[in-house]
Amino acid sequence: MGAVEARASPRATRRPAVWIGALAVASLALPALVTTPFGMDVCVRVLLFAFIGVAWNLMGGYAKQLSLGHAAYFGLGAYTSTILLIRFGISPWIGLVAGGIVAMLASLPIGWLCFRLRGPYFAIATIATAQVLMLLFLKFRGFAWGAEGTTIPFLGNAPLMMQFSGKAPYYYIALALLALGLLTTYLIERSWMGYYLVAVGEDEDAAQAIGVNAPRIKRDIYLISAFLTALAGTFYVQYIYFIDPNTAFSFNVSVEAALVSIVGGIGTLWGPVLGTALLEPLSAFLQSWLGSSHAGVQLTVYALILMAVILWRPTGLMGLVSDAIRILRRG
Amino acid sequence: MVKIVNFAQGEFVMIGMYISFFLATRLGIDPLLSLLVSMPVMFLAGVLLQHVLIRRVLGLGDMPQIFLTFALSVLLMNVALLLFTANYRTVQTPYTDASFHIGGVYVSVAKLIAFVLAMALSCALTLLLHRTDIGKAMRAAAQNRDVAMLMGIDTNRVFAVAVGLALALAGAAGSLLMPFYPVYPTVGQVFVLMAFVAVVLGTLGNVTGALVAGLMMGVAESLGIQFIGADSGLIVVFGLLLATLALRPSGLFGGWAR
Repeated sequence: MGAVEARASPRATRRPAVWIGALAVASLALPALVTTPFGMDVCVRVLLFAFIGVAWNLMGGYAKQLSLGHAAYFGLGAYTSTILLIRFGISPWIGLVAGGIVAMLASLPIGWLCFRLRGPYFAIATIATAQVLMLLFLKFRGFAWGAEGTTIPFLGNAPLMMQFSGKAPYYYIALALLALGLLTTYLIERSWMGYYLVAVGEDEDAAQAIGVNAPRIKRDIYLISAFLTALAGTFYVQYIYFIDPNTAFSFNVSVEAALVSIVGGIGTLWGPVLGTALLEPLSAFLQSWLGSSHAGVQLTVYALILMAVILWRPTGLMGLVSDAIRILRRG
Repeated sequence: MVKIVNFAQGEFVMIGMYISFFLATRLGIDPLLSLLVSMPVMFLAGVLLQHVLIRRVLGLGDMPQIFLTFALSVLLMNVALLLFTANYRTVQTPYTDASFHIGGVYVSVAKLIAFVLAMALSCALTLLLHRTDIGKAMRAAAQNRDVAMLMGIDTNRVFAVAVGLALALAGAAGSLLMPFYPVYPTVGQVFVLMAFVAVVLGTLGNVTGALVAGLMMGVAESLGIQFIGADSGLIVVFGLLLATLALRPSGLFGGWAR
């Protein structure tokens, strides 16, 4: 719905150019201002999860195909690049793209199966596919280290192997990923594909009846969404230097991808970014304040925020923002 | 019954298990007896849930319902994690390790009792749905809320009873599981995925189908453990789901075309 509104007023599209320029300068300058490693870590996580949210939002927000199994692609991306790196010494920069391609290929059969179900049943089927992948990687230890996982050898400052001594380069990579995700969304939103996606999301049968090839459009957006999510997976394991099935295929990744989008406002370009900008620093703050002894606090708070959003503000933070703008213009 | 897919259903099984666990360890009440506590408590919780949360998102489409019950599921899991930690907890009963064998097949007493009581509860539910006024009202409201309302059915009350019943049964399942299954905060996820596979395999909305599919899954899981390995049970069950979706998406009891 937000997407349609944005398109309806051409004046609103010119002004944000200034805002986006300011935002870009601010985010490029941020590493110079944030001096603590903790602060940088929070910034990297905000950008990364905003990117995953943006990837999820293409499918969950615009086409309203609620995937709760995006960890499948996150994990496939992470494992592909790690296996290429450790077994064959191939740079994660190549692994990044290879992981994305593996995820795209995997999304074809997974989509073929899961798209046979709709609504809540589709969502649960996607959970099942991510679980199956996690179980497979846990079981076949000869192939990918099994349950123990593996650490990624630290090579010092090696930009060609996506390894850096400071946190700032990671920040810029995450920023570039997010920019890629936003640009992809922006272009899709403005193309015929964006309109088709919104049509399928509003009423699949009606869209099909007026000639939208719904199965094809769903397959295509799933391909794009899977590719982007896999990039995040590669980046994440390179960032934390560790991989195991429980990290790579973590249900929390799937949850967070959906969560930040819903809280921020689904089907909007900036929704996932806004949602992550609120949730991720909040959880980092909670964790540093309460320590690791209170393991469930983060998701408890997330769940409460999510429930509040659904009950009182289903359009998310973007809805609040557009309301505020409307009031400001009028007053 | 009210056509709400409740993502938090597994978490209510988890709560039922914790109720039985604490009654057993603190007060020494047998988990099976604690059924008499867990069922009414969960019924009331269900009525409350309907009035406070679900009522607000009825008739708004799939998305708010999915998100709301999903948020509830995440909330309950993590509150349980905060309160009870991630430790696996078990209850020892005289019949936990007891078993007898008929014709070379070992039957666990605890599981047999759970099976018999679960079947009895399923029969009771079927009778309730088909023979009582409130059951008929429930089926009517599930078929078409507006028409049921026009026929003079208080749909809010009917939905409250339906959600209450769903939670009471989840609580009962928890109590029945406790003698032979450990409880931990995310235990519900296992059950909700299993239940989902049973429902899809046995055709959506077909109660008997789900029952038959559930039995088939149990057999498939045991065969998987026997022939492939101890940790392959879930893989076999999910494999069954994927095969169903690939070959017969409308389930075992659905027609060929949808």
